[in-house]
Amino acid sequence: MKSLTITEIEQFLKSVEPEFDLRVPIRLHDGTRSLGGLNEGPLSLMGGKIPLKPTSVFFPQTERVFTRESDGEIKMEKPGEKPILVVGYTAEDADCLEFIDKFFSENFRDDLYFQKRDGSVIMVVSGKCGPDGGFLKIAGGKCDLELICDGERFIAQAYTEKGRQLEKKMKASKEVGDIDSLKKMSDELPDDDLKTIQKASELILAEKVPDAFWVEIGDRCIACTSCNYACPTCTCFEVYDRVHDGTTVRERMWDSCQLDGFMREASGHNPMGTEDIRTRRRIHHKLAADVTRWGHLTCYLCGRCDDACPTNIGIKSVSRMIVERYSQANEK
Amino acid sequence: MAVETKTEKDKDSASLYRPVFCRIVRISDLTPTEKLFRIEMPEGRDLNQKPGQFVQVSILGLGEAPISVSSSPTRRGYFELGVRNAGALTNALHQLKVGDEVGIRGPFGTFFDVEKFKGKDMLLISGGCGLAPMRSLIQYCEDRRGEFGKTFVIYGAKAPADVLYKDELEIWQGSDIFETHVTVDNIPQGTCYDGHVGLITTLIPPLEIEPEKSIAVVVGPPVMYRFVIMELKKKGIREEQIVVSLERYMKCGVGKCGHCTIEHLYCCLDGPVFWFNEISNLRGAI
Ligand SMILES: Cc1cc2nc3c(=O)[nH]c(=O)nc-3n(C[C@H](O)[C@H](O)[C@H](O)COP(=O)(O)OP(=O)(O)OC[C@H]3O[C@@H](n4cnc5c(N)ncnc54)[C@H](O)[C@@H]3O)c2cc1C
Ligand code: SF4
Ligand code: SF4
Ligand code: FES
Repeated sequence: MKSLTITEIEQFLKSVEPEFDLRVPIRLHDGTRSLGGLNEGPLSLMGGKIPLKPTSVFFPQTERVFTRESDGEIKMEKPGEKPILVVGYTAEDADCLEFIDKFFSENFRDDLYFQKRDGSVIMVVSGKCGPDGGFLKIAGGKCDLELICDGERFIAQAYTEKGRQLEKKMKASKEVGDIDSLKKMSDELPDDDLKTIQKASELILAEKVPDAFWVEIGDRCIACTSCNYACPTCTCFEVYDRVHDGTTVRERMWDSCQLDGFMREASGHNPMGTEDIRTRRRIHHKLAADVTRWGHLTCYLCGRCDDACPTNIGIKSVSRMIVERYSQANEK
Repeated sequence: MAVETKTEKDKDSASLYRPVFCRIVRISDLTPTEKLFRIEMPEGRDLNQKPGQFVQVSILGLGEAPISVSSSPTRRGYFELGVRNAGALTNALHQLKVGDEVGIRGPFGTFFDVEKFKGKDMLLISGGCGLAPMRSLIQYCEDRRGEFGKTFVIYGAKAPADVLYKDELEIWQGSDIFETHVTVDNIPQGTCYDGHVGLITTLIPPLEIEPEKSIAVVVGPPVMYRFVIMELKKKGIREEQIVVSLERYMKCGVGKCGHCTIEHLYCCLDGPVFWFNEISNLRGAI
């Protein structure tokens, strides 16, 4: 069992830099954390989830679909030269990635997504390195390798062949670590939020949440779209063409179901024409529609929409309200 | 409705999002705002669509729009699109000439499951632009006569000038394969027209049908569905005997962009063709 210091992890990352396109947690000039290359800012493994939508590594905010030069040939985007190595997903982020892998492969395989995702390596960071000394859930799988912090060092746990190959390249000054007690701490983390969204999901599916509730919540939404743009399982996109000097570029860009222009019928009618319908859609999609479609919730409680929403109507807050107001009525 | 997964096929093709450039070989005017485009795939390939499916039409620089294939797969070597000049892309399409190329992706979506319709009496009911996708099924019934029972073609348009496929409607009216009824909602002053006037719902009560062996296929603007389906139910046709085709503006056509969802369903993937009982309880479906 390898137990590495932050410096040793940084040395390891430098050693694999020639082989991989690195996306590691870094601290930006303004003090916020993001995913980037080692040259873009100091490595920042402590502090928990990265505020940015972590799945943007494979599904970026904007990406090119193809280019057509004036010679008429369509050139699809080429995959990057090196496979992507991500460090710094949380266990919840790894759950989200597992779902969107399924989403982008089912029925039609989205080659734009998989040309980044195929061959990539995911390293989750967990344990005693959360914000304000908090404990981050241990993934225990769903990634190639996990770096579990015991408060001082990071214990490397490989789950896949790719992970094991990389683990071999890690030079650790210590070969022991107490993983069992860390796993126990992880198992004992409270699951109140999960219970809340599960209950909210049941209530929505049982039609116990009246339309008036969505009107009230919808009234609070200012359609800033932060919730969608931060959510690792939000996958909606817009497609548009740009023409410049005879070259046409088709791109896709994240879209938000909270915007009025999101949906149209050919007649011009908007089936999601009011704020309450759009707000219901945002919550209903993850807690009800996807349960029907995929058999499970598609919110993994990463916490980003609650952090991002300026009017405090992220999925956890809304779920809490639903449970407080409508579960008793349900039990009557 | 049935859907074929394209996963295996996609592995060979370059990209899900790459349009194939196809040549326009014939353009005809259907109405002052609608044109019919006959299009050929490269190297004489067939589109291999099923009746009721759609394609994503690209005009580079303007983007893509979903358009139903308006011709039956039984007519090989080409496919046809009936297009209303409704906005930026369709307007540009209307400016194209024979010999020009358009980008095509697809065919996509579910289809009228003709295997399940075999031996049934068919009520093919369409309103307005809905005749565009319906025509693929009408032509299919025409070419595979004998596979289906008594077949009714019921069509309603706003006014005589809006009637699509006038020449073909005349042929279907004269044919012994179909019992065809056409109506218009109203006749603007000064228009010469001697056909039936009234809402499409008025055409349904007089039909002599055997409800238990019938399938009704309904395609039209959202307002039409509720009233037509009410009339069909009065005739003894049950929800599970009714097929509808729904639409939402589609950006990808392959279940990824999220613009076409109806609760847990994707109109581009699980639709556009649905059995009515699959969607009748879904909020916002019609
Ligand atoms: C499955 C399916 C099949 C279809 N089949 C056919 C067919 O066979 N024939 C046919 O003619 N059409 C068909 N359509 C409809 C066609 O795709 C639309 O009319 C499409 O919008 C045309 O694209 P456009 O760029 O020309 O028009 P757009 O520029 O998109 O404009 C269409 C209309 O919508 C309005 N509009 C567009 N975007 C916005 C916005 N963001 N906010 C407010 N208003 C907006 C425009 O003002 C205009 O009135 C089909 C649609 C679907 C989903
Ligand atoms: S907590 Fe919010 S942002 Fe995170 S997965 Fe759930 S819905 Fe998405
Ligand atoms: S973050 Fe909050 S206010 Fe902004 S669009 Fe989402 S729900 Fe509305
Ligand atoms: S059109 Fe993109 S999901 Fe249906």
